[in-house]
Amino acid sequence: MMLGRVIGEVWATRKNPRIEGRKALLVAALAQDGDRRTPTGEVVVAFDSVGARIGHVVTVTWGSGARAVFSGPDNRWVLVDAAVARIVDAVSVERDGKEVEERED
Amino acid sequence: MFMGKVVGTVWSTVKWEGLHGLKFLVVRPYHLADLAPHLLVRPTPYTMYDGVVAADVLGAGPGEDVIVAYGHSARVAVEPELPDGKLPSRPIDAAVVAIVDHFHVESAAQDEE
Repeated sequence: MMLGRVIGEVWATRKNPRIEGRKALLVAALAQDGDRRTPTGEVVVAFDSVGARIGHVVTVTWGSGARAVFSGPDNRWVLVDAAVARIVDAVSVERDGKEVEERED
Repeated sequence: MFMGKVVGTVWSTVKWEGLHGLKFLVVRPYHLADLAPHLLVRPTPYTMYDGVVAADVLGAGPGEDVIVAYGHSARVAVEPELPDGKLPSRPIDAAVVAIVDHFHVESAAQDEE
């Protein structure tokens, strides 16, 4: 899974009918960078399942894990390869041998 | 998935049987520097391919922005029918799943709030 920050939304009327009704978010990948998390430059599109909004730090789940978010046990024909399935409250990182919790507000 | 701009079309005459009837586009993924440069702390390299080849059944053309899905979802995207008990099996791993009307990215002003 990827840690990222929601930076935008995408709208499309011409689309595969299997993604009808999904909300597409633009998510900028984050990397731990010393004391903070900073964007790597990579931006992905993920379908929202938790009501994430611009500014939220989220995790993006890939592949069949993403299909599981939008389906029951039979997810062979579900069309999603990235899903926002969690809004992050805080991340704990080790710093100088101690665990430090960093909140995302 | 990623969002990118269609920059070209790929033509081929010799191809695997299951690829007949599919159109292939070259899609250049958007980088954070293109969408929201104010969010970049420092210049970062373009880590994704400059041009991803993606199958298209929606009729996207050069200059349009599209959403491209990878892997199993790409194979699902190019199959109009859902045969019972079968899995999508065409030899592709990227496909256009939507043609973008518009997108909204947080502005520098919002970021400062």
